[in-house]
Amino acid sequence: MAYEAVKVKTPLIIKILSAASIVTFFGGWELIVDLGIVPSTMLAAPSTVFKLFIVKLTDPNPDGALLQTHAWISIQEAGIGYLLSLLIGIPLGLFMGWFTVVRGIFRPLFEIIRPIPPIAWIPLCIFWFGIELWGKVFIIWIGGVVPCVINAWTGVNMTNPTLIQMARTYGASDWQIFRKLCIPSALPMVFGALQITLAICWTNLVAAELLAADSGLGFLITMGRRLALPEMVVLGMVTVGVAGALIGVAIDALEKRLLAGIRR
Amino acid sequence: MLKVLGKTLRSEFSLYVISFFGFLLLWDWVAKEQILGRSLAPPLDVLKELHRLTTVKLAGKDLFGHIWDSTRRVFIGFAIGAVFAVPLGLLMALNRYINALVKPVFDIFKPMPPIAWISIAILWFGIEEASKIFIIVIGAFVPCLLNAYNGVRLIDPELYDVIRMLGGNRRAEILHVSFPAAFPAIFSGLQISLSIAWTCVLAAELVSSRSGLGWIIIQGMRLTRPDLVIGGMAIIALVAWLTTLLISGLERLICPWKRGIKEGYL
Repeated sequence: MAYEAVKVKTPLIIKILSAASIVTFFGGWELIVDLGIVPSTMLAAPSTVFKLFIVKLTDPNPDGALLQTHAWISIQEAGIGYLLSLLIGIPLGLFMGWFTVVRGIFRPLFEIIRPIPPIAWIPLCIFWFGIELWGKVFIIWIGGVVPCVINAWTGVNMTNPTLIQMARTYGASDWQIFRKLCIPSALPMVFGALQITLAICWTNLVAAELLAADSGLGFLITMGRRLALPEMVVLGMVTVGVAGALIGVAIDALEKRLLAGIRR
Repeated sequence: MLKVLGKTLRSEFSLYVISFFGFLLLWDWVAKEQILGRSLAPPLDVLKELHRLTTVKLAGKDLFGHIWDSTRRVFIGFAIGAVFAVPLGLLMALNRYINALVKPVFDIFKPMPPIAWISIAILWFGIEEASKIFIIVIGAFVPCLLNAYNGVRLIDPELYDVIRMLGGNRRAEILHVSFPAAFPAIFSGLQISLSIAWTCVLAAELVSSRSGLGWIIIQGMRLTRPDLVIGGMAIIALVAWLTTLLISGLERLICPWKRGIKEGYL
Protein backbone atom coordinates (compact mmCIF):
# COMPACT_ATOMS: atom_id res chain seq x y z
CA MET A 1 0.00 0.00 0.00
CA ALA A 2 1.27 3.39 -0.90
CA TYR A 3 0.36 5.14 2.32
CA GLU A 4 1.16 4.60 5.97
CA ALA A 5 -1.60 3.20 8.11
CA VAL A 6 -2.94 5.87 10.44
CA LYS A 7 -3.18 4.76 14.04
CA VAL A 8 -6.64 5.50 15.40
CA LYS A 9 -7.24 5.40 19.13
CA THR A 10 -10.21 3.29 20.17
CA PRO A 11 -12.94 5.70 21.31
CA LEU A 12 -14.01 5.42 24.93
CA ILE A 13 -17.58 4.46 24.03
CA ILE A 14 -16.36 1.35 22.20
CA LYS A 15 -14.32 0.24 25.19
CA ILE A 16 -17.28 0.81 27.50
CA LEU A 17 -19.59 -1.17 25.20
CA SER A 18 -17.16 -4.11 25.10
CA ALA A 19 -16.77 -4.18 28.86
CA ALA A 20 -20.54 -3.80 29.35
CA SER A 21 -21.25 -6.70 27.02
CA ILE A 22 -18.95 -9.05 28.94
CA VAL A 23 -20.35 -7.95 32.30
CA THR A 24 -23.94 -8.31 31.07
CA PHE A 25 -23.19 -11.76 29.71
CA PHE A 26 -21.77 -13.15 32.95
CA GLY A 27 -24.21 -11.17 35.12
CA GLY A 28 -27.19 -12.39 33.09
CA TRP A 29 -25.94 -15.96 33.21
CA GLU A 30 -25.50 -15.79 37.00
CA LEU A 31 -28.92 -14.17 37.46
CA ILE A 32 -31.02 -16.53 35.34
CA VAL A 33 -29.69 -19.45 37.35
CA ASP A 34 -29.86 -17.76 40.77
CA LEU A 35 -33.39 -16.48 40.21
CA GLY A 36 -34.46 -19.92 39.07
CA ILE A 37 -35.53 -18.91 35.54
CA VAL A 38 -33.45 -21.83 34.30
CA PRO A 39 -33.45 -24.77 36.73
CA SER A 40 -30.05 -25.53 38.24
CA THR A 41 -30.28 -29.09 36.90
CA MET A 42 -29.86 -27.66 33.40
CA LEU A 43 -27.35 -24.88 33.80
CA ALA A 44 -24.83 -23.99 36.48
CA ALA A 45 -24.12 -20.40 37.50
CA PRO A 46 -20.60 -19.11 36.83
CA SER A 47 -19.95 -18.89 40.57
CA THR A 48 -20.83 -22.59 41.00
CA VAL A 49 -18.54 -23.49 38.12
CA PHE A 50 -15.71 -21.50 39.68
CA LYS A 51 -16.24 -23.19 43.04
CA LEU A 52 -16.10 -26.60 41.38
CA PHE A 53 -12.93 -25.52 39.56
CA ILE A 54 -11.22 -24.82 42.90
CA VAL A 55 -12.48 -28.09 44.37
CA LYS A 56 -11.44 -30.16 41.34
CA LEU A 57 -7.85 -28.98 41.65
CA THR A 58 -7.46 -31.07 44.81
CA ASP A 59 -10.38 -33.53 44.87
CA PRO A 60 -10.43 -36.44 42.38
CA ASN A 61 -14.11 -37.33 43.10
CA PRO A 62 -16.57 -38.09 41.56
CA ASP A 63 -14.93 -38.85 38.21
CA GLY A 64 -11.68 -40.35 39.46
CA ALA A 65 -9.03 -37.78 38.55
CA LEU A 66 -7.94 -34.23 39.25
CA LEU A 67 -8.73 -31.52 36.71
CA GLN A 68 -5.05 -31.06 35.84
CA THR A 69 -4.67 -34.82 35.29
CA HIS A 70 -7.59 -34.78 32.83
CA ALA A 71 -6.12 -31.76 31.06
CA TRP A 72 -2.65 -33.30 30.92
CA ILE A 73 -3.96 -36.56 29.44
CA SER A 74 -5.91 -34.65 26.80
CA ILE A 75 -2.95 -32.45 25.91
CA GLN A 76 -0.73 -35.52 25.63
CA GLU A 77 -3.11 -37.28 23.24
CA ALA A 78 -3.71 -34.19 21.16
CA GLY A 79 0.02 -33.39 21.14
CA ILE A 80 1.08 -36.82 19.87
CA GLY A 81 -1.65 -36.85 17.22
CA TYR A 82 -0.77 -33.30 16.18
CA LEU A 83 2.96 -33.99 15.85
CA LEU A 84 2.31 -37.20 13.90
CA SER A 85 -0.01 -35.40 11.47
CA LEU A 86 2.63 -32.72 10.91
CA LEU A 87 5.44 -35.26 10.52
CA ILE A 88 3.56 -37.33 7.97
CA GLY A 89 1.23 -34.77 6.38
CA ILE A 90 3.65 -31.98 5.54
CA PRO A 91 6.36 -34.04 3.77
CA LEU A 92 3.65 -36.04 1.99
CA GLY A 93 1.95 -32.83 0.80
CA LEU A 94 5.26 -31.34 -0.35
CA PHE A 95 6.18 -34.49 -2.30
CA MET A 96 2.66 -34.75 -3.75
CA GLY A 97 2.96 -31.20 -4.98
CA TRP A 98 6.14 -31.78 -6.95
CA PHE A 99 6.63 -35.46 -7.87
CA THR A 100 4.13 -37.01 -10.28
CA VAL A 101 4.75 -40.53 -9.02
CA VAL A 102 4.03 -39.66 -5.40
CA ARG A 103 0.92 -37.74 -6.42
CA GLY A 104 -0.25 -40.58 -8.62
CA ILE A 105 0.04 -43.11 -5.82
CA PHE A 106 -1.27 -41.14 -2.88
CA ARG A 107 -3.91 -38.89 -4.39
CA PRO A 108 -6.64 -41.55 -4.79
CA LEU A 109 -6.11 -42.76 -1.22
CA PHE A 110 -6.17 -39.18 0.02
CA GLU A 111 -9.37 -38.40 -1.86
CA ILE A 112 -11.02 -41.49 -0.38
CA ILE A 113 -10.09 -40.58 3.20
CA ARG A 114 -10.67 -36.85 2.94
CA PRO A 115 -14.50 -36.67 2.96
CA ILE A 116 -14.88 -39.15 5.86
CA PRO A 117 -15.42 -37.15 9.07
CA PRO A 118 -12.68 -38.25 11.52
CA ILE A 119 -15.35 -39.08 14.10
CA ALA A 120 -16.64 -41.83 11.84
CA TRP A 121 -13.39 -43.73 12.46
CA ILE A 122 -14.11 -44.07 16.18
CA PRO A 123 -15.81 -47.52 16.02
CA LEU A 124 -13.06 -48.97 13.81
CA CYS A 125 -10.46 -47.47 16.16
CA ILE A 126 -12.09 -49.16 19.11
CA PHE A 127 -12.00 -52.47 17.21
CA TRP A 128 -8.35 -51.99 16.30
CA PHE A 129 -6.77 -50.20 19.25
CA GLY A 130 -9.25 -50.43 22.12
CA ILE A 131 -9.97 -47.27 24.10
CA GLU A 132 -6.34 -46.70 25.02
CA LEU A 133 -4.11 -43.83 23.97
CA TRP A 134 -3.39 -45.00 20.42
CA GLY A 135 -7.01 -45.21 19.33
CA LYS A 136 -7.49 -41.56 20.13
CA VAL A 137 -4.16 -40.63 18.60
CA PHE A 138 -5.25 -42.34 15.38
CA ILE A 139 -8.48 -40.33 15.19
CA ILE A 140 -6.65 -37.08 15.88
CA TRP A 141 -4.01 -38.00 13.33
CA ILE A 142 -6.43 -38.88 10.55
CA GLY A 143 -8.27 -35.57 11.04
CA GLY A 144 -5.09 -33.52 11.26
CA VAL A 145 -3.23 -35.00 8.34
CA VAL A 146 -5.77 -33.72 5.77
CA PRO A 147 -5.20 -29.95 6.18
CA CYS A 148 -1.43 -30.55 6.42
CA VAL A 149 -1.35 -32.31 3.07
CA ILE A 150 -3.67 -29.80 1.39
CA ASN A 151 -1.72 -26.76 2.58
CA ALA A 152 1.74 -28.15 1.79
CA TRP A 153 0.52 -29.25 -1.63
CA THR A 154 -1.08 -25.88 -2.40
CA GLY A 155 2.09 -24.16 -1.19
CA VAL A 156 4.27 -26.10 -3.65
CA ASN A 157 1.78 -25.43 -6.44
CA MET A 158 2.01 -21.71 -5.75
CA THR A 159 5.75 -21.62 -6.51
CA ASN A 160 6.44 -18.96 -9.08
CA PRO A 161 6.71 -20.81 -12.44
CA THR A 162 9.19 -18.26 -13.78
CA LEU A 163 11.64 -19.21 -11.06
CA ILE A 164 11.22 -22.89 -11.88
CA GLN A 165 11.87 -22.24 -15.57
CA MET A 166 14.91 -20.18 -14.72
CA ALA A 167 16.28 -22.94 -12.50
CA ARG A 168 15.69 -25.44 -15.34
CA THR A 169 17.53 -23.20 -17.79
CA TYR A 170 20.51 -23.15 -15.47
CA GLY A 171 20.42 -26.96 -15.37
CA ALA A 172 18.98 -27.61 -11.94
CA SER A 173 17.72 -31.13 -11.35
CA ASP A 174 14.17 -31.91 -10.24
CA TRP A 175 15.35 -32.61 -6.73
CA GLN A 176 17.33 -29.36 -6.55
CA ILE A 177 14.33 -27.32 -7.69
CA PHE A 178 12.17 -29.08 -5.12
CA ARG A 179 14.64 -28.43 -2.30
CA LYS A 180 15.76 -24.90 -3.15
CA LEU A 181 12.61 -23.43 -4.68
CA CYS A 182 9.45 -25.34 -3.86
CA ILE A 183 10.01 -25.95 -0.15
CA PRO A 184 10.95 -22.35 0.74
CA SER A 185 8.05 -20.92 -1.24
CA ALA A 186 5.63 -23.38 0.38
CA LEU A 187 6.70 -22.44 3.92
CA PRO A 188 4.10 -19.73 4.63
CA MET A 189 1.30 -22.09 3.59
CA VAL A 190 2.82 -24.85 5.70
CA PHE A 191 2.86 -22.58 8.72
CA GLY A 192 -0.74 -21.66 7.97
CA ALA A 193 -1.52 -25.36 8.32
CA LEU A 194 -0.14 -25.41 11.88
CA GLN A 195 -3.06 -23.37 13.25
CA ILE A 196 -5.79 -25.06 11.20
CA THR A 197 -4.51 -28.51 12.10
CA LEU A 198 -4.33 -27.64 15.76
CA ALA A 199 -7.96 -26.50 15.85
CA ILE A 200 -9.07 -29.67 14.06
CA CYS A 201 -6.99 -31.90 16.36
CA TRP A 202 -8.45 -30.30 19.46
CA THR A 203 -12.05 -30.75 18.20
CA ASN A 204 -11.45 -34.37 17.31
CA LEU A 205 -9.85 -35.03 20.66
CA VAL A 206 -13.03 -33.98 22.44
CA ALA A 207 -15.08 -36.16 20.10
CA ALA A 208 -12.84 -39.17 20.64
CA GLU A 209 -12.97 -38.75 24.40
CA LEU A 210 -16.73 -38.32 24.47
CA LEU A 211 -17.20 -41.78 23.02
CA ALA A 212 -14.29 -43.82 24.19
CA ALA A 213 -12.26 -42.80 27.21
CA ASP A 214 -11.80 -43.27 30.90
CA SER A 215 -10.02 -39.97 31.48
CA GLY A 216 -9.42 -36.64 29.79
CA LEU A 217 -11.43 -33.42 29.41
CA GLY A 218 -14.00 -34.94 27.03
CA PHE A 219 -14.56 -37.70 29.56
CA LEU A 220 -15.06 -35.08 32.27
CA ILE A 221 -17.87 -33.55 30.18
CA THR A 222 -19.50 -36.92 29.59
CA MET A 223 -19.31 -37.81 33.29
CA GLY A 224 -20.89 -34.46 34.13
CA ARG A 225 -23.84 -35.38 31.95
CA ARG A 226 -24.16 -38.92 33.32
CA LEU A 227 -24.08 -37.67 36.91
CA ALA A 228 -26.44 -34.78 35.97
CA LEU A 229 -23.94 -32.20 37.23
CA PRO A 230 -24.20 -29.24 34.85
CA GLU A 231 -21.38 -27.42 36.64
CA MET A 232 -19.02 -30.26 35.70
CA VAL A 233 -20.14 -30.12 32.06
CA VAL A 234 -19.59 -26.38 31.92
CA LEU A 235 -16.24 -26.67 33.71
CA GLY A 236 -15.09 -29.24 31.14
CA MET A 237 -16.25 -27.05 28.25
CA VAL A 238 -14.54 -23.96 29.66
CA THR A 239 -11.28 -25.86 30.27
CA VAL A 240 -11.35 -27.23 26.73
CA GLY A 241 -11.97 -23.74 25.35
CA VAL A 242 -9.30 -22.04 27.45
CA ALA A 243 -6.67 -24.72 26.79
CA GLY A 244 -7.40 -24.62 23.06
CA ALA A 245 -7.12 -20.84 22.99
CA LEU A 246 -3.84 -20.89 24.97
CA ILE A 247 -2.23 -23.47 22.67
CA GLY A 248 -3.40 -21.44 19.68
CA VAL A 249 -1.74 -18.30 21.06
CA ALA A 250 1.48 -20.23 21.70
CA ILE A 251 1.57 -21.59 18.14
CA ASP A 252 0.88 -18.13 16.79
CA ALA A 253 3.82 -16.65 18.73
CA LEU A 254 6.10 -19.47 17.58
CA GLU A 255 5.01 -18.96 13.99
CA LYS A 256 5.73 -15.21 14.16
CA ARG A 257 9.21 -15.85 15.52
CA LEU A 258 10.11 -18.56 13.00
CA LEU A 259 8.64 -16.72 10.04
CA ALA A 260 10.15 -13.35 10.93
CA GLY A 261 12.13 -13.10 7.69
CA ILE A 262 9.63 -14.63 5.28
CA ARG A 263 7.14 -12.53 3.36
CA ARG A 264 3.56 -13.71 3.82
CA MET B 1 8.25 -53.60 -22.74
CA LEU B 2 10.33 -51.56 -20.31
CA LYS B 3 9.49 -48.45 -22.27
CA VAL B 4 5.76 -49.09 -21.85
CA LEU B 5 6.26 -49.68 -18.14
CA GLY B 6 8.23 -46.46 -17.79
CA LYS B 7 5.54 -44.51 -19.64
CA THR B 8 2.80 -45.97 -17.44
CA LEU B 9 4.68 -44.97 -14.32
CA ARG B 10 5.08 -41.44 -15.56
CA SER B 11 1.44 -40.82 -16.48
CA GLU B 12 -0.57 -39.57 -13.54
CA PHE B 13 -3.86 -41.11 -14.55
CA SER B 14 -2.62 -44.67 -14.88
CA LEU B 15 -0.96 -44.30 -11.49
CA TYR B 16 -4.33 -43.26 -10.04
CA VAL B 17 -5.90 -46.43 -11.40
CA ILE B 18 -3.06 -48.62 -10.15
CA SER B 19 -3.13 -47.02 -6.73
CA PHE B 20 -6.91 -47.31 -6.39
CA PHE B 21 -7.06 -50.98 -7.30
CA GLY B 22 -3.92 -51.67 -5.30
CA PHE B 23 -5.67 -50.18 -2.28
CA LEU B 24 -8.77 -52.32 -2.81
CA LEU B 25 -6.68 -55.48 -3.26
CA LEU B 26 -4.60 -54.76 -0.16
CA TRP B 27 -7.76 -54.06 1.85
CA ASP B 28 -9.31 -57.30 0.59
CA TRP B 29 -6.16 -59.27 1.42
CA VAL B 30 -5.82 -57.82 4.93
CA ALA B 31 -9.48 -58.55 5.62
CA LYS B 32 -9.44 -62.09 4.21
CA GLU B 33 -6.23 -63.04 6.02
CA GLN B 34 -7.73 -61.52 9.18
CA ILE B 35 -4.51 -59.67 10.01
CA LEU B 36 -6.52 -57.24 12.12
CA GLY B 37 -8.61 -60.02 13.61
CA ARG B 38 -12.26 -60.06 12.60
CA SER B 39 -12.52 -56.30 12.75
CA LEU B 40 -12.18 -55.53 9.05
CA ALA B 41 -14.61 -56.55 6.33
CA PRO B 42 -13.51 -57.06 2.71
CA PRO B 43 -14.80 -54.44 0.26
CA LEU B 44 -17.23 -56.82 -1.45
CA ASP B 45 -18.90 -57.70 1.86
CA VAL B 46 -19.38 -54.01 2.55
CA LEU B 47 -21.04 -53.51 -0.83
CA LYS B 48 -23.28 -56.55 -0.26
CA GLU B 49 -24.27 -55.27 3.16
CA LEU B 50 -25.15 -51.86 1.73
CA HIS B 51 -27.20 -53.49 -1.00
CA ARG B 52 -29.01 -55.60 1.58
CA LEU B 53 -29.81 -52.50 3.64
CA THR B 54 -31.61 -50.85 0.71
CA THR B 55 -34.36 -53.47 1.06
CA VAL B 56 -34.13 -54.70 4.66
CA LYS B 57 -35.39 -52.32 7.31
CA LEU B 58 -33.12 -51.46 10.23
CA ALA B 59 -35.01 -49.95 13.18
CA GLY B 60 -38.01 -49.28 10.95
CA LYS B 61 -36.12 -47.53 8.18
CA ASP B 62 -34.17 -48.67 5.14
CA LEU B 63 -30.84 -47.18 4.14
CA PHE B 64 -32.41 -44.24 2.31
CA GLY B 65 -34.53 -43.42 5.34
CA HIS B 66 -31.41 -43.19 7.50
CA ILE B 67 -29.59 -41.09 4.91
CA TRP B 68 -32.56 -38.76 4.74
CA ASP B 69 -32.71 -38.46 8.55
CA SER B 70 -29.08 -37.35 8.79
CA THR B 71 -29.28 -35.06 5.77
CA ARG B 72 -32.42 -33.39 7.08
CA ARG B 73 -30.76 -32.68 10.43
CA VAL B 74 -27.69 -31.27 8.71
CA PHE B 75 -29.68 -28.98 6.44
CA ILE B 76 -32.01 -27.66 9.16
CA GLY B 77 -29.13 -26.93 11.53
CA PHE B 78 -26.92 -25.54 8.79
CA ALA B 79 -29.68 -23.27 7.49
CA ILE B 80 -30.49 -21.89 10.95
CA GLY B 81 -26.81 -21.31 11.70
CA ALA B 82 -26.09 -19.61 8.39
CA VAL B 83 -29.22 -17.44 8.44
CA PHE B 84 -28.23 -15.95 11.80
CA ALA B 85 -24.44 -15.99 11.53
CA VAL B 86 -23.85 -14.42 8.12
CA PRO B 87 -25.93 -11.25 8.68
CA LEU B 88 -24.50 -10.91 12.19
CA GLY B 89 -20.95 -11.19 10.84
CA LEU B 90 -21.69 -8.58 8.17
CA LEU B 91 -23.24 -6.23 10.71
CA MET B 92 -20.26 -6.66 13.04
CA ALA B 93 -17.86 -5.78 10.26
CA LEU B 94 -19.88 -2.76 9.07
CA ASN B 95 -20.82 -1.22 12.40
CA ARG B 96 -18.24 -0.84 15.14
CA TYR B 97 -20.82 -0.43 17.91
CA ILE B 98 -22.40 -3.79 17.14
CA ASN B 99 -18.90 -5.19 16.88
CA ALA B 100 -17.98 -3.86 20.33
CA LEU B 101 -21.11 -5.47 21.77
CA VAL B 102 -20.95 -8.90 20.15
CA LYS B 103 -17.24 -9.60 19.62
CA PRO B 104 -16.21 -10.08 23.29
CA VAL B 105 -18.97 -12.63 23.90
CA PHE B 106 -18.31 -14.35 20.58
CA ASP B 107 -14.61 -14.61 21.45
CA ILE B 108 -15.53 -16.55 24.58
CA PHE B 109 -17.44 -19.16 22.58
CA LYS B 110 -15.15 -19.31 19.57
CA PRO B 111 -12.45 -21.69 20.88
CA MET B 112 -14.94 -24.24 22.26
CA PRO B 113 -15.27 -27.20 19.91
CA PRO B 114 -18.96 -27.64 18.92
CA ILE B 115 -18.77 -31.27 19.96
CA ALA B 116 -18.11 -30.20 23.56
CA TRP B 117 -21.70 -28.86 23.53
CA ILE B 118 -23.25 -32.30 23.09
CA SER B 119 -23.55 -32.99 26.80
CA ILE B 120 -25.15 -29.68 27.64
CA ALA B 121 -27.45 -29.98 24.62
CA ILE B 122 -28.69 -33.31 25.93
CA LEU B 123 -29.26 -31.77 29.38
CA TRP B 124 -31.24 -28.95 27.79
CA PHE B 125 -33.17 -30.59 24.99
CA GLY B 126 -33.17 -34.30 25.78
CA ILE B 127 -32.06 -36.83 23.20
CA GLU B 128 -34.64 -35.88 20.55
CA GLU B 129 -34.10 -33.95 17.32
CA ALA B 130 -33.72 -30.57 19.01
CA SER B 131 -30.45 -31.39 20.73
CA LYS B 132 -28.85 -32.66 17.51
CA ILE B 133 -29.94 -29.63 15.54
CA PHE B 134 -28.68 -27.36 18.33
CA ILE B 135 -25.17 -28.79 18.04
CA ILE B 136 -25.17 -28.42 14.27
CA VAL B 137 -26.32 -24.80 14.63
CA ILE B 138 -23.46 -24.11 17.06
CA GLY B 139 -20.94 -25.82 14.79
CA ALA B 140 -22.13 -24.03 11.64
CA PHE B 141 -22.36 -20.66 13.37
CA VAL B 142 -18.70 -19.93 14.09
CA PRO B 143 -17.10 -20.31 10.63
CA CYS B 144 -20.05 -18.56 8.92
CA LEU B 145 -19.74 -15.56 11.20
CA LEU B 146 -15.94 -15.43 11.10
CA ASN B 147 -15.80 -15.61 7.32
CA ALA B 148 -18.51 -13.01 6.76
CA TYR B 149 -16.75 -10.74 9.26
CA ASN B 150 -13.25 -11.17 7.82
CA GLY B 151 -14.61 -11.10 4.27
CA VAL B 152 -15.78 -7.53 4.78
CA ARG B 153 -12.85 -6.40 6.90
CA LEU B 154 -10.16 -7.62 4.54
CA ILE B 155 -11.58 -5.78 1.50
CA ASP B 156 -8.95 -3.72 -0.25
CA PRO B 157 -9.55 -0.12 0.95
CA GLU B 158 -8.79 1.16 -2.53
CA LEU B 159 -12.12 -0.32 -3.68
CA TYR B 160 -13.90 1.98 -1.26
CA ASP B 161 -11.84 4.90 -2.56
CA VAL B 162 -13.07 4.15 -6.07
CA ILE B 163 -16.73 4.21 -5.12
CA ARG B 164 -16.22 7.41 -3.12
CA MET B 165 -14.51 9.06 -6.09
CA LEU B 166 -17.57 8.18 -8.14
CA GLY B 167 -19.71 10.01 -5.61
CA GLY B 168 -21.19 7.03 -3.79
CA ASN B 169 -22.54 7.38 -0.28
CA ARG B 170 -22.26 4.86 2.56
CA ARG B 171 -25.19 2.86 1.19
CA ALA B 172 -23.54 2.51 -2.20
CA GLU B 173 -20.30 1.48 -0.52
CA ILE B 174 -22.04 -1.32 1.32
CA LEU B 175 -24.19 -2.50 -1.58
CA HIS B 176 -21.63 -2.27 -4.37
CA VAL B 177 -18.35 -2.98 -2.59
CA SER B 178 -18.78 -4.69 0.76
CA PHE B 179 -21.33 -7.32 -0.23
CA PRO B 180 -19.96 -8.46 -3.59
CA ALA B 181 -16.37 -8.44 -2.35
CA ALA B 182 -17.27 -10.45 0.74
CA PHE B 183 -19.25 -13.08 -1.18
CA PRO B 184 -16.39 -15.48 -1.93
CA ALA B 185 -15.29 -15.45 1.72
CA ILE B 186 -18.89 -16.04 2.85
CA PHE B 187 -19.18 -19.02 0.52
CA SER B 188 -15.98 -20.58 1.74
CA GLY B 189 -17.36 -20.08 5.25
CA LEU B 190 -20.48 -21.97 4.18
CA GLN B 191 -18.34 -24.80 2.84
CA ILE B 192 -16.41 -25.09 6.11
CA SER B 193 -19.68 -24.90 8.07
CA LEU B 194 -21.19 -27.68 6.03
CA SER B 195 -18.31 -30.06 6.65
CA ILE B 196 -18.40 -29.19 10.36
CA ALA B 197 -22.17 -29.76 10.31
CA TRP B 198 -21.60 -33.30 9.01
CA THR B 199 -19.06 -33.96 11.74
CA CYS B 200 -21.49 -32.63 14.34
CA VAL B 201 -24.48 -34.65 13.18
CA LEU B 202 -22.33 -37.74 13.22
CA ALA B 203 -21.07 -37.03 16.73
CA ALA B 204 -24.60 -36.35 17.97
CA GLU B 205 -25.92 -39.55 16.40
CA LEU B 206 -23.04 -41.59 17.79
CA VAL B 207 -23.75 -40.35 21.31
CA SER B 208 -27.51 -40.80 21.27
CA SER B 209 -30.04 -41.50 18.53
CA ARG B 210 -32.36 -44.05 17.02
CA SER B 211 -31.81 -43.31 13.36
CA GLY B 212 -29.34 -41.77 10.93
CA LEU B 213 -25.99 -42.75 9.50
CA GLY B 214 -24.16 -42.27 12.79
CA TRP B 215 -26.63 -44.69 14.34
CA ILE B 216 -25.85 -47.28 11.63
CA ILE B 217 -22.15 -46.98 12.48
CA ILE B 218 -22.67 -47.27 16.23
CA GLN B 219 -25.03 -50.20 15.67
CA GLY B 220 -22.30 -51.91 13.67
CA MET B 221 -19.95 -51.32 16.56
CA ARG B 222 -22.34 -52.77 19.14
CA LEU B 223 -22.96 -55.86 17.03
CA THR B 224 -19.24 -56.11 16.08
CA ARG B 225 -20.17 -55.90 12.41
CA PRO B 226 -17.29 -54.14 10.61
CA ASP B 227 -19.13 -54.35 7.28
CA LEU B 228 -21.92 -52.21 8.72
CA VAL B 229 -19.42 -49.72 10.19
CA ILE B 230 -17.41 -49.34 7.00
CA GLY B 231 -20.57 -49.20 4.89
CA GLY B 232 -21.87 -46.36 7.07
CA MET B 233 -18.56 -44.51 6.78
CA ALA B 234 -18.58 -44.85 3.00
CA ILE B 235 -22.15 -43.54 2.72
CA ILE B 236 -21.36 -40.56 4.96
CA ALA B 237 -18.30 -39.70 2.90
CA LEU B 238 -20.37 -39.93 -0.28
CA VAL B 239 -23.29 -37.83 0.98
CA ALA B 240 -21.01 -35.21 2.56
CA TRP B 241 -19.07 -34.96 -0.68
CA LEU B 242 -22.29 -34.56 -2.71
CA THR B 243 -23.58 -31.75 -0.48
CA THR B 244 -20.22 -29.99 -0.82
CA LEU B 245 -20.57 -30.20 -4.60
CA LEU B 246 -24.04 -28.68 -4.26
CA ILE B 247 -22.66 -25.65 -2.39
CA SER B 248 -19.83 -25.07 -4.86
CA GLY B 249 -22.34 -25.34 -7.71
CA LEU B 250 -24.50 -22.71 -6.01
CA GLU B 251 -21.46 -20.54 -5.53
CA ARG B 252 -20.59 -20.66 -9.21
CA LEU B 253 -24.18 -19.73 -10.01
CA ILE B 254 -24.52 -16.87 -7.54
CA CYS B 255 -21.10 -15.26 -7.66
CA PRO B 256 -19.41 -15.96 -10.99
CA TRP B 257 -16.74 -13.31 -10.33
CA LYS B 258 -15.04 -15.66 -7.93
CA ARG B 259 -13.81 -17.86 -10.75
CA GLY B 260 -10.07 -17.60 -11.09
CA ILE B 261 -9.50 -16.79 -7.45
CA LYS B 262 -7.33 -19.65 -6.31
CA GLU B 263 -8.39 -21.06 -3.01
CA GLY B 264 -7.81 -24.76 -2.72
CA TYR B 265 -7.26 -25.05 0.98
CA LEU B 266 -10.01 -25.37 3.56
